[in-house]
Amino acid sequence: MTKDIGFVTAKETAWCPGCGNFGILRALSRALEELELRPQDVLYVSGIGQAGKTPHYIAGNVLNTLHGRTLPTATGAKLANGDLTVFAIGGDGDGYAEGGNHFLHAIRKNVDITYLVHDNQVFGLTKGQASPRSDQGMVTGTTPAGVANEAFNPLATAITLNGGFVARSYAGDQQHLTRTIKAAVQHRGFALVDILQPCVTFNKINTYQYYRERVYDLDQDGSYDRTDRKAAWEKSWEWGDRIPIGILYQVERPTLADQYSGILTTPLVRQERDTAVVHALVESFKV
Amino acid sequence: MSNTFNIRIGGEAGQGLVSIGSILLRAIAREGWYLFAHQDYESRIRGGNNYFQIRLANEPIATWVDKLDLTVSLDRATIGRARKNLTEDSLVIYDPDVFRNEELPFTPGENYIALPFAQVTEELGQPRIMANAVAAGAIWAFLSDDFSVLADVLGELFGRRGAEIVEGNQLVAKAGFDRVQGLASKRQKPARPEHPAERILLSGNDALPLGALAAGLKFMSAYPMTPSTGVTEYISRNGRKASVVMEQAEDEISAINMAIGASFAGVRAMTATSGGGFALMTEALSLAGSAEIPIVVVNAQRPGPSTGLPTRTEQGDLTFAVAMSFGDFPRAVLAPGDVEEAFYLMGDAFNLAERYQMPVVVLSDQHLADSYTTVTPFSVDRVEIDRGKVVSGAEGGPDYLRYKLTEDGISPRLYPGFGDGLVISAGDEHDEKGHLTEDGEMRRKMVEKRMAKQKLVEEEALPPVICGVEDPELVLIGFGSTKGAIAEAVANLNERGTRAQGVHLPQVFPLPASLEEILTGPGEKYVVEGNASGQLQALIASRFAWKPTGCVRRYDGRPINACYILNELKGGGACD
Ligand SMILES: Cc1ncc(C[n+]2csc(CCOP(=O)(O)OP(=O)(O)O)c2C)c(N)n1
Ligand SMILES: [Mg+2]
Repeated sequence: MTKDIGFVTAKETAWCPGCGNFGILRALSRALEELELRPQDVLYVSGIGQAGKTPHYIAGNVLNTLHGRTLPTATGAKLANGDLTVFAIGGDGDGYAEGGNHFLHAIRKNVDITYLVHDNQVFGLTKGQASPRSDQGMVTGTTPAGVANEAFNPLATAITLNGGFVARSYAGDQQHLTRTIKAAVQHRGFALVDILQPCVTFNKINTYQYYRERVYDLDQDGSYDRTDRKAAWEKSWEWGDRIPIGILYQVERPTLADQYSGILTTPLVRQERDTAVVHALVESFKV
Repeated sequence: MSNTFNIRIGGEAGQGLVSIGSILLRAIAREGWYLFAHQDYESRIRGGNNYFQIRLANEPIATWVDKLDLTVSLDRATIGRARKNLTEDSLVIYDPDVFRNEELPFTPGENYIALPFAQVTEELGQPRIMANAVAAGAIWAFLSDDFSVLADVLGELFGRRGAEIVEGNQLVAKAGFDRVQGLASKRQKPARPEHPAERILLSGNDALPLGALAAGLKFMSAYPMTPSTGVTEYISRNGRKASVVMEQAEDEISAINMAIGASFAGVRAMTATSGGGFALMTEALSLAGSAEIPIVVVNAQRPGPSTGLPTRTEQGDLTFAVAMSFGDFPRAVLAPGDVEEAFYLMGDAFNLAERYQMPVVVLSDQHLADSYTTVTPFSVDRVEIDRGKVVSGAEGGPDYLRYKLTEDGISPRLYPGFGDGLVISAGDEHDEKGHLTEDGEMRRKMVEKRMAKQKLVEEEALPPVICGVEDPELVLIGFGSTKGAIAEAVANLNERGTRAQGVHLPQVFPLPASLEEILTGPGEKYVVEGNASGQLQALIASRFAWKPTGCVRRYDGRPINACYILNELKGGGACD
């Protein structure tokens, strides 16, 4: 159950009691409120998984699409109507396994959207199989002898690709998460927020307690330089006894829409067919 | 069809065949002839043997023929491949230098004219790369006495590269023209139309994207795959002028999902691909069916299975395109038969997709994609845009239900941000608002609502296009790029005293109910199609519980023409 606050609309959800998703839902709602956005101007494109259900519980337009395809779908919607504030929302399986290729290319394209990854390090909805984010050794339904593969590092990958906004936050830290989501929305370009999300049912390793003991805010002493790409990349590998949260790397790059600047001064969705131009194109085939 | 003249220019990939082809096409069309040109090429960048074949006539033509009147061979292989298509009157212009010291595989003389293209070019102090212009000039000598038309076209096509290149090309082309004059002056020039009309010259891969622009396309995303790439590149080159975003995706899955995202936001969106890429798009087609998001996909077929014959033609994706994906949802599949239909059907495709909020597949194939014809200039005004039921402002208020249950199954769309209401869409089963539901009753209603639309799509299915006589003894039925071949076969049969009729299906799913009248009407029925298993036949049979007299099928990667159909009919065309 969620308290009916701000943008949150659902009386009931399909999430387990105590799920980290509740913290994410609340922080998202607060961030939208503080940004003074109208729900009508917000679009959430989500995938399939427990994370992908989030938009059904919060005010805004929703396109709940396929497993793994949130990023291209969100990209198309944003290019068609740049007036919308577009979120892509999905799980770690959705984004880093099924949609891995799209993840790489959305970063390269630098489309101006905010990507929230509910990173519970497991496939939740399908009941607890290993995800690319599962810690090595984790025993799951598909890895009875423990996960052998090294975990995927989304932050290092994004920094390697010169992603414009690369952040990690934690579902158990409302203030930090709210602040990070706001900064991500305000960033011009592709903004990744990988959100550490305890899964109370299937992940017995990365629990609330696990994170409480390890998570620290990068910006706590004000010395972290988020424009230093090399340092950010090194920081992105810190995992274990101490886990940094915050904006690891931020740089302004031309966005995908900038490539179409001549066309997108008015959103595509507000433009009509230009009959004269098409007529001229037909004429160009005259011999 | 005695007044047609057929030219083949053959050579290796990289020898500039497409360049000679486009020069000649333009000059021929400008002189008033009608033409049909098709391409035969291998999946490689250099070498091999490719050809560009141009058939011209004094009246409209819509297909190709086997018999070659004039063959220009830039390499050694062309002559061998052309041999079975030569007659006593056929002429071959060849380059003796490519045979060096070998014995010639033919007897030089009146029918085989030596013209050392590269040598002529070099003697005139021009780079070897211009050798193909010598060939163009030589061909022109057999079509016209007036060299200036060709010179003008060379000027237009090479103008951007500077005066030196233009003049060089004109110089060597004139040399080619002059060198064969002795023979050319003895031959009768092909007959010209008495009243040349204004026409445009383009290929299927030009007409499809042009039709999409005329239909108000605003967003395209695609991943290159032969033979659909021309559609994608046309929009990449020209989209901006019409304020269209064309974004190259990282794969076909991304391509179609981007287009679906754009369509959801309220613009007309499409993607283009070929067999394998289309296979990757199928999950998203199912999403579009469930979430009721309009989407248009051009699938330019090539022979499968797998990557098959990448640069050749087949109609083997019909069953797959109709089945489209998993689950029940409404859809339509269109199959333009020529360049003109390709243009106008794109308008129908977008209107259908938006009226019924569903996926529409436009089946092209390599033969349609890469073949050029001269046609009456398209009318952009004739392409009406019907965006279906859309609400905005007050109608799209707080009570707006994206999946409102209505009598006809169509729930008005609201573009996000265009009203006070919220647009909630999902591929998972949903209630009227768009939120997820597992309720059996709601599920049943939603299935019925979606499938109600399929009925309406069927009711307005495009009628068959008929040619030939009204009381046939023989009926040829086909879809897509066989249209011209069937029409010519029918004309031939009628000329020879067999009362024949051709039936072309521009829409293959759902099939128009009116087809039944033809199926049960007079005459023996043959289904003509470019695949091995008889996919169109099976589709018609499953809809109308019907069996044809026989069939004509082709699956060697080559296009069907009238001659092929007539030969197969003679051979019995045994049918399963
Ligand atoms: C194409 C496809 N493959 C597999 C599935 C089944 N599936 C649904 S959700 C999911 C993984 C969920 O994990 P994650 O994305 O991390 O989301 P979570 O439930 O953990 O929030 C899978 C494999 C699917 N819906 N579609
Ligand atoms: Mg997960």
